[in-house]
Amino acid sequence: MNRSMEAHAFLVKKGFKVKSFGTGEKVKLPGASADRPNCYEFGVPYDDIYNDLLEKDKTYYTQNGLLHMLDRNRRIKPYPEKFQVSTERFDVIITCEERVYDQVIEWFGSKRSVYNQPVHVINIDIQDNHEEATIGAFLISDMVTKMAQSDDLDNDIDELLHDFEAKCHRPILNCIMFY
Amino acid sequence: MSSKYHQTSHLTAQNQLIQWINEAGMSEGTKKSNLLRKIVEVMLHQAPQTVPLYMENILSFVSDKSTEVRKQVVAFIEELSKKYPEYLPKIIGQLQLLVIDTVIAVQKRAIQAASIVYRNVLIWLCKGKADHAEMQYVWDHLTKLKLLILNMIDSENEGIRTHSIKFLEEVVLLQSPSEGSGEDFSLDNIPTHLPFLKRRTLEEESEHIFELLIKFHNSQHISSVNLMACMTTLCLLAKVRPKYMPRVVQALGDLHTTLPPTLSQSQVNSVRKHLKMLLLNLIKHPSSNDMLPHLTQLLADIGMTAQEINKAIPKERRNKRVNEIKNDDTPAKRLRVDSPQSNSQGSDSNSRSDFVYEDDSSQQSVVAVTKATVTEDSIFDGLNNVENVVSLVTHTLVNHLPINIPSGFFTAYKPIPNSGSKAQKRNLAKMLLALIKDEPAPIPPPVQPQPSLSDLAAKIPLLRDDDEKITLKNAVAKLQESTKAEKQIENAVSKLMEETRQEHLKEEERKEKEKEKLVPPPTPTIPKLKHRVKLLKLQELTRPIPKEIKEKLMLQAVERILRAEQDCAIGGASQIRTKFITIFASSYTSDIRDLVLNYILEDPVNRIDLALSWLYEEYAIMQGFNRHPVTLKSFNEKHDQNYNQLLCALVTQICERGDPSLENSKDVLMRKIYLESPVVTGEAIDYLKHLVTEEKMALLALDLLEELCIMRPPRAHKYVPSLVAHVLNENEEIRDVALKSTVKIYKQSTESAKRVIEKHALLYLGFISLSMPPPELVNMRQVRVWTDDLYKLCLNLVMALFPEKEELIVEVARVYGCSGAEAKRCVLRCAEGPLRAAAAAPIPSSDENEAPPGALRPSFQALLDECPRGAETLLTRLVHILTEKAPPSHELVSRVRELYATRVSDVRFLIPVLNGLSKKEILAALPKLIKLNPVVVKEVFNKLLGLQNPNEEHSPVSPEDLLVELHLIDPSKADLKYIIKATAICFAEKNTYTQDVLSAVLQRLAEEPDIPVLMMRSVLQALTLHPGLAPLALDILRLLIDKEVWTHKVAWEGWVKCCERLCGAGMGAGGGAAVGGACERDGTCALLRSLPVHAAAALPPHLQQLCSDPQFPQPANPLEPLPPGME
Repeated sequence: MNRSMEAHAFLVKKGFKVKSFGTGEKVKLPGASADRPNCYEFGVPYDDIYNDLLEKDKTYYTQNGLLHMLDRNRRIKPYPEKFQVSTERFDVIITCEERVYDQVIEWFGSKRSVYNQPVHVINIDIQDNHEEATIGAFLISDMVTKMAQSDDLDNDIDELLHDFEAKCHRPILNCIMFY
Repeated sequence: MSSKYHQTSHLTAQNQLIQWINEAGMSEGTKKSNLLRKIVEVMLHQAPQTVPLYMENILSFVSDKSTEVRKQVVAFIEELSKKYPEYLPKIIGQLQLLVIDTVIAVQKRAIQAASIVYRNVLIWLCKGKADHAEMQYVWDHLTKLKLLILNMIDSENEGIRTHSIKFLEEVVLLQSPSEGSGEDFSLDNIPTHLPFLKRRTLEEESEHIFELLIKFHNSQHISSVNLMACMTTLCLLAKVRPKYMPRVVQALGDLHTTLPPTLSQSQVNSVRKHLKMLLLNLIKHPSSNDMLPHLTQLLADIGMTAQEINKAIPKERRNKRVNEIKNDDTPAKRLRVDSPQSNSQGSDSNSRSDFVYEDDSSQQSVVAVTKATVTEDSIFDGLNNVENVVSLVTHTLVNHLPINIPSGFFTAYKPIPNSGSKAQKRNLAKMLLALIKDEPAPIPPPVQPQPSLSDLAAKIPLLRDDDEKITLKNAVAKLQESTKAEKQIENAVSKLMEETRQEHLKEEERKEKEKEKLVPPPTPTIPKLKHRVKLLKLQELTRPIPKEIKEKLMLQAVERILRAEQDCAIGGASQIRTKFITIFASSYTSDIRDLVLNYILEDPVNRIDLALSWLYEEYAIMQGFNRHPVTLKSFNEKHDQNYNQLLCALVTQICERGDPSLENSKDVLMRKIYLESPVVTGEAIDYLKHLVTEEKMALLALDLLEELCIMRPPRAHKYVPSLVAHVLNENEEIRDVALKSTVKIYKQSTESAKRVIEKHALLYLGFISLSMPPPELVNMRQVRVWTDDLYKLCLNLVMALFPEKEELIVEVARVYGCSGAEAKRCVLRCAEGPLRAAAAAPIPSSDENEAPPGALRPSFQALLDECPRGAETLLTRLVHILTEKAPPSHELVSRVRELYATRVSDVRFLIPVLNGLSKKEILAALPKLIKLNPVVVKEVFNKLLGLQNPNEEHSPVSPEDLLVELHLIDPSKADLKYIIKATAICFAEKNTYTQDVLSAVLQRLAEEPDIPVLMMRSVLQALTLHPGLAPLALDILRLLIDKEVWTHKVAWEGWVKCCERLCGAGMGAGGGAAVGGACERDGTCALLRSLPVHAAAALPPHLQQLCSDPQFPQPANPLEPLPPGME
């Protein structure tokens, strides 16, 4: 909700056709203590989450930036979406954390492909905080721009990611899956 | 009504379609493809009745020039094949065209569609509703299509390869039996009545394609994306068609042990992760039951813990596995672990199986079964019998084990993870059976003798007997060729293959690098991507040479290059040769470095240029001007040190080699190395410093240091300490040279070097304030206490620098202030010369204007301003020196005056500037001045009286004043005897104190209200010196009477004596001649008579007599009072 949405916002501004998803069971946000996160179902509008947190502890959630983040998110799209229930087919899927990458390829691996349409799944590790999310959005935007410039992404992706990895000094995972 | 509505809506849709189709025909690019998308959408979903009408219109776009449009056509074909299979005969040809499209994107889309169309065609065939000829037509086309795509697995384009893998997956799925799982379409659905569609052929074909996929998957140079796609495909096949499970697991296991060497680190990570995910997926799948031990072993190899694995296994199967392990773990079966054939378990290559065959064939004789009767089960039972196994093993050991271990054994041998388990025994039985029956082992792994590839090629054409088979044959043959070649060479370099992946990668890079360096890059503009693709091809043709051999070859090559010195010179290639040697020496193993270094040292005089160019190469690498040689990374050294090491090795070796022929040239060589190398490291400087201590090299070393400092200003501050340290050297010669060099450098070098030198000078200077000589001094000598020489040593640098930087005097004074008396003396002595020189030299001025004459030097000014505690004597000395040659300037005087008032209480401080002081000041200081050492007092008077005065300066105090003042000094301030001495000095200066002067003095003294104590003494002295003063004396005597001189005891005595003198009486028996003439005598007598009675009574008798008889001086009778009338 932080990293992906930051990147989502950034990429939309650049004119890419982009969507963002969660992969977990629920939408989890940090709560008053580590063992008591705020959980919401996918599909609950950002507006509602925003108001809920506002009611719970306005100062606390203002301070930790959650409200600000939710405010940004509701300007981008109405509610959080879950990746596994989406029926859209994408060309490239970018994850910001290895755990999410695992969940995505696990999901692809668990079902038969119908359309045989390939999709590149790429993971770039971004820490879950505001600053890193901003940096991450830049990195992702760089990477996606390069991809968009490629005439034949399937053929170039190895090289492209290899170069990008050397440039951004972060380990990158990628694989190809099929819809 | 509703039908009517439908009809109208259909009509509008149809009209709309017509309009769009017309528009599409006239528009271009994106607009066209958008229209096309709408047309297809409406046609298929809203107006299906129009499909046959306008289908052709859309299919005609297959040759449109827009990529997007063609892709739309593919999508249309795909949809059509699903919804209206009856049109398949019409579209299949178009699809075939699209698959071989010139644009890769269209090709990929077409291949993607092809797998869907393929499925739909089979379903359509199965329904069997269509015309037989039509079916045959479609199938023929489809087979062609299949062959086309099959060929594409070898395409240059990675995307196309990926898509064709996916297509082949579909083919294998459709053409293999479902084994009961089958809700999906499978081979079982294929009708039997169609002559061109034979189940058996199809199944065989799918088997071959599966083998092809496995082959592709195991290929050494597969790209990571292809590899992962292939892995996914294989796993899907394994899940849906359990019969493939063992081979898939085997392939994945092999992949884990030998990943393609072309992958980068993150690709390896991705592949490993992918592998883990797939294995976990497999393990969850029910059909993996039999392979569970393999899978768990693999997962454990990947790095999962037992708990994690157990968690992943579905519950109902967990216990079973545990039991299985328990049952199998009986001692009898463990024996087999040692038997050579056990290595067959994990091997996958032909070469390895060859080795196994040989061994296994021996077992045939032991197992007492005939070829005809043997079955897998019987062998399996046999293996369960301990005795059988023991005799089998012993027999093999005794009769069939080769004496030497075959070279391939170590590489091929892998411990069997599940040895003794049921599964393993079963495999072994299968293998044995295969051997006994003299046929390639059947499908099951792990032995997996490679199904002969030529068979594979031979069989596929069976499917179709037309020309197209050649294409397929070619495709497969191509694949085989590469893999065959691989296998053959694999044996030879199998050892290499065992090396870690990273090492392998480096080898590749090194090769690349070598190529880059040795031959000019052919076309540097080739995009990286292309380059890589080419590399792949090269990889298939060539094999990396094992590391050791490579290194050895390289070493030999370098040796040859080294030996070819003359040849190269003759052939005009010596420059290239030098370049080669430097590159080899700098970029490869330490062996080569040593080799080249030794070569240079064999004849350093002639090979010094080579050494220097090597040095420059190393320097370029160290500084990053050159790309860091990849080849160096593998050696665990600090390559940044290479330069330094080389430089030090060169200088030390040249210096310390006892080669007599080298003696004469050492000098030149050292100079060349030090002065021409790109940078001189700290260690090399240290070595120079060390060399100074060696007798022969000392002067050279010093000289080099000096030159380095001067020629390499930016680093001079780093070099100079080594030189400066030697100004304390015990050897006088070295010391002098060092000192001179230091001063020279100080004059010429940079600010930072100057600072370093100053710092050292001050450090050494500071030593003198210590109570004991510091270790720097003591270490060299065996002295433990200060001597004058040691003090001088410490001072020599700072004094040498003083002329260059006079400000140092302030520091000297500071240290001086806190030093001991001995040290102070030394400083005074040492500083004398430089100070004099400085005082004599013109003042350095920054601008053109000359400093006003007599102005103070800034440094002295600073010193006087500061006046460090304890340094007063030094200051005094300085002021002395300053006033020696010239009168003290006004500025100096005022400063000294100020200091005297505030800081320095010693009056001696004033002496040099006395003449600059005001009269009042001098007179105030006079009492103190006369108390000083007689020599000093004399000097003071010389100054005051303007004696020995070369400067013709005018003293503010006249001699007259001086003498007067001396008389007027308060005796409580200065003892009388000092005053007497002082006056004596004055009287001694007859040239100054002439009669006139003295008379003036006496006159003034007489006029004083109080009679000065020494007045009469002075009168007498003056009288003695100048008898001509007698009249004056008489006057004075008379005056004194007025002052009642008799009341002053001392004065009275003097007065009396004076009278005696004047009239010549009372000078004892001999009687001195009277000073004055008769006139004076008469005057005196008159004077005496004028004395009051009581005073006259005090006169000595002879004077009294005079009083009484003015005519004749008679011995006076002091008892006789003067007659009253006499007054």
